[in-house]
Amino acid sequence: MISRKSILAVACCGVLALGVAACGSSSSSSTSGGSSGTANTPLTGAGSTLIAPLMSKWQSDYSSRTGNTVTYGAIGSGGGIEQITAGTVDFGASDAPLTPDQQKAAADVLMIPWALSSTDPVYNINGVSDGLRLDGPTLANIFLGNITAWNDPAIAKLNPGVTLPSTKITPVYRSDGSGDTYILTDYLSKVSSEWKSKVGVGTEVKFPTGVGGKGNDGVSAVLSKTDGAIAYVGAAYAASNGFNQVAVENAAGKFLQPTLGTISAAAAAVKTIPSNNAVSLTDPPKSATNAYPLASYTYVLAPSTSDKADSLKEFITYAIGPGQSFGPSLLFAKLPSQITSADKATIAKIGG
Amino acid sequence: MESSQRPDHPLLAARTGNLRRRRAANRTMETSAWIAAVLAVAVLVLVIGSVAVKGLSSISLNFLTQNADPNSIEATGGIANALVGTGIMVGLATLMAVPVGILTAIYTNEFAGSRSASTIRYFLDVLNGVPTIVTGIFIFGLIVTAQGHQSGWAGAIALAIVMLPLVARSCQEVLALVPGSVKEAGLALGASRWRTTVSVVVPTALSGMITGALLAVARALGETAPLLFVSSIFATNLSTDPSQALPSVPLVIFQFSESPTPAKHDQAWAAALVLIVVVLLISIVARVLSARMRRRLGAAR
Amino acid sequence: MTTDAATAQPSPLLAGKNRGFIDRFGDRALYIITLLAALLSVAVVLGLAYKIVDEAAPAMSKFGLGFLTTSNFDPVHGEFGAAQFIYGTAVSSFGALLLATPISVAIALFLTELAPRSSRTAIGTLVELLAGIPSVILGLWGIIVLGPVLNDTIEPALHSVLGWIPLFGGTYSLVGLFPAILILTIMTVPIVSSLTREIFATVPPTDKEGALALGATRWEMIKTVVLPYSRPGIIGAVILGLGRAVGEAIAVTQVIGNTAGIHSNIFLPADTLASKIANTYQGADPSTTIPALAYFAVILFVLSLIFNSVARLLVRRVQSRAGRAG
Repeated sequence: MISRKSILAVACCGVLALGVAACGSSSSSSTSGGSSGTANTPLTGAGSTLIAPLMSKWQSDYSSRTGNTVTYGAIGSGGGIEQITAGTVDFGASDAPLTPDQQKAAADVLMIPWALSSTDPVYNINGVSDGLRLDGPTLANIFLGNITAWNDPAIAKLNPGVTLPSTKITPVYRSDGSGDTYILTDYLSKVSSEWKSKVGVGTEVKFPTGVGGKGNDGVSAVLSKTDGAIAYVGAAYAASNGFNQVAVENAAGKFLQPTLGTISAAAAAVKTIPSNNAVSLTDPPKSATNAYPLASYTYVLAPSTSDKADSLKEFITYAIGPGQSFGPSLLFAKLPSQITSADKATIAKIGG
Repeated sequence: MESSQRPDHPLLAARTGNLRRRRAANRTMETSAWIAAVLAVAVLVLVIGSVAVKGLSSISLNFLTQNADPNSIEATGGIANALVGTGIMVGLATLMAVPVGILTAIYTNEFAGSRSASTIRYFLDVLNGVPTIVTGIFIFGLIVTAQGHQSGWAGAIALAIVMLPLVARSCQEVLALVPGSVKEAGLALGASRWRTTVSVVVPTALSGMITGALLAVARALGETAPLLFVSSIFATNLSTDPSQALPSVPLVIFQFSESPTPAKHDQAWAAALVLIVVVLLISIVARVLSARMRRRLGAAR
Repeated sequence: MTTDAATAQPSPLLAGKNRGFIDRFGDRALYIITLLAALLSVAVVLGLAYKIVDEAAPAMSKFGLGFLTTSNFDPVHGEFGAAQFIYGTAVSSFGALLLATPISVAIALFLTELAPRSSRTAIGTLVELLAGIPSVILGLWGIIVLGPVLNDTIEPALHSVLGWIPLFGGTYSLVGLFPAILILTIMTVPIVSSLTREIFATVPPTDKEGALALGATRWEMIKTVVLPYSRPGIIGAVILGLGRAVGEAIAVTQVIGNTAGIHSNIFLPADTLASKIANTYQGADPSTTIPALAYFAVILFVLSLIFNSVARLLVRRVQSRAGRAG
């Protein structure tokens, strides 16, 4: 008669074996979807929430054109960079270009700007209508916590004739790794040395004061519920939620709100594209008189070697081509020609 | 209780107090208890009422047949893909958790020595108390990072882990309720251990086991946290393929609830209505079954 | 269930020629299958504990126990500390328990002593249905219904009457600790009250009747017999409710405002361990932030272990006493 102890031993081995077998079979099934040639391989991407509204249009249109499914998770640009570096998605999306360290960690990832939009400072102040004027240093001081009430003299000076309430200012920032944060901090670092030294540039920085929200959606939700709040959201979110937008002063001294025209003007100011396609459009020079100071490209992060190379190439080519037609209604301006030619050259580098 | 022998017993002390004061204290307590009960029922009505009122206006055939797209800035579509996704993941989870739970309960009640039985019960209690977000992290690290992508399978396994202690514990309780006389009768007739268990004990406890399984299913239907990292990046078409991430109704409610768009809130309410109706129906069926089983077992004793 | 099978035809239980072999094989097979299932259940718990400790190891070795007292969450510089989140978890959970305990005990008393017998099951079922509401729906209700009501009416009222207490001083907001406490209360009341009900049911009726026979009012009977008898069990039930409140991620993250900080004003936003994980884990940096969040998970797991074990001890004590007396 077999003793209970030996049965126990056999049982434990059995459970372990089952577990290992299950893990083995599940990981092998994941590679089975990697047929190279045909473009009918579903793609999965993750990252920027700024591009999510446009991506949603691309997903349905692309699917009806080619039958190919693109799955996209808007987890923030920081998340997009993480996941493409880890190889857990087929492409990433980020409004922030990879830092040198990040590029080193993701050595084979290419950056391809595939849309052009902006991050807009927006506000919700009882009694103040659209178009409040702010300049770079004042904006920096607000987010630094140096200016705490809306009727501060620095703000009043820029807005003669506007009655400003004494409401406390609540800056709202992105609590997740965000390309919008990158665009804002990139701009603030250029116009405020205090910001540059205290906080710096990045997708995730330590904001000195304020309330956090997750994703463009989360920040929009907090803004709409808080009187006296100021936040920064992707242009599509500002427009679709009807938020009051700040008129930011550019280097030429004009107070501008983001429109297709002012965003395109900012893009036109940068003619030379570096080899890695990382371009900063914030704080354009004085010569770009009509340029919006917080415009930015948003990038697709594609691996240069992928077993879904053909699918990727087809999708990205679609995005910078026919896909652009969905942009204007969502405040994405048309990509300028110098970018599209650089993009096409980079797309050609994606190989199987 | 020999209070007559203990002159300083609180009851005797109370007797010497003012009768009116004591009656007033009693009435206060009774009123507070009534208020508490009414409060609880009122909150229930308030919450379910809000869901019903706000959700009903947004429910339409469209809502139930179109798919959810969390990336879109407008509130389009419905929750068709989420309904299917929840159905598949909870279904798979049930297929995994219920057999394991029942078999574990049979082991602890029929075979295990009292020390192993209480150890296993302890582990099941621990599993029951693990915050579901921690379960999500566990499955993310175990399956999603290993596979390189999210999947409906990972979601199902995470839900199965949440369901397992519920199924196992309720089966343990029900099996323990089966009268010893029934088991002994089977054994006395010469049936073997396994035959008695399979043909006598389990059928007696069956409705109780089904109750436990139903309550676990009702719980799993509403779980968001286990799926948050494990099946949250999903396609916007209707998919029945669990090897990729599948949308789920609670997750869609969560994502829509965090949006600033009132239209998305309306959709969240409608989805919440669908979810709550299903969950409450299952809970009520489970309770009816449970009451019936207790009556039967009570008669058999 | 008929047990008169002995008088009927040969039972199907006894059929089969090779009964001896089938029986021995069947017994062994059932034993092995059920043993495997039980081992799997145990393995899941052990695997879970191992995996999250493994994920948290880099953060645990880097920050040690000082993690629990440091207030910081800086992914850019890789500096993390759990103190603000532990504060949020503690305040929201204890606040909820402070409110939920008297309400739950009162409901349990109502259902066991005071309610007319005919409505006991109905009302009891209604209270338990509250436990079945998915937390995400409670959170949705909290964001859209409760938040504005608190912000527009209740918080100003509390502020004007009790504003001198730092708890209610200062500004109000649509999100914060207060709505989180209320939502957690709604979640824990059904759990604590149904457990307390079971505990009250174990009080020996003779003791209760004895007190009433001596002329005690209902309340005095409850105060001197039921409550002292049930005290360890009630504490156990409360601790189990506490465990639920501590671990809740979704409903809390929807209403608490996701802004970590240690302050005395419960109207202001805050953040908890579970809520931070829910918010930040996806897309977090696997080399720095994820170990810190996994460390949060380890803290939550250890807390749930402690609550579970303590509650079991207390509830067991009441049950064994009932067994001896009954």
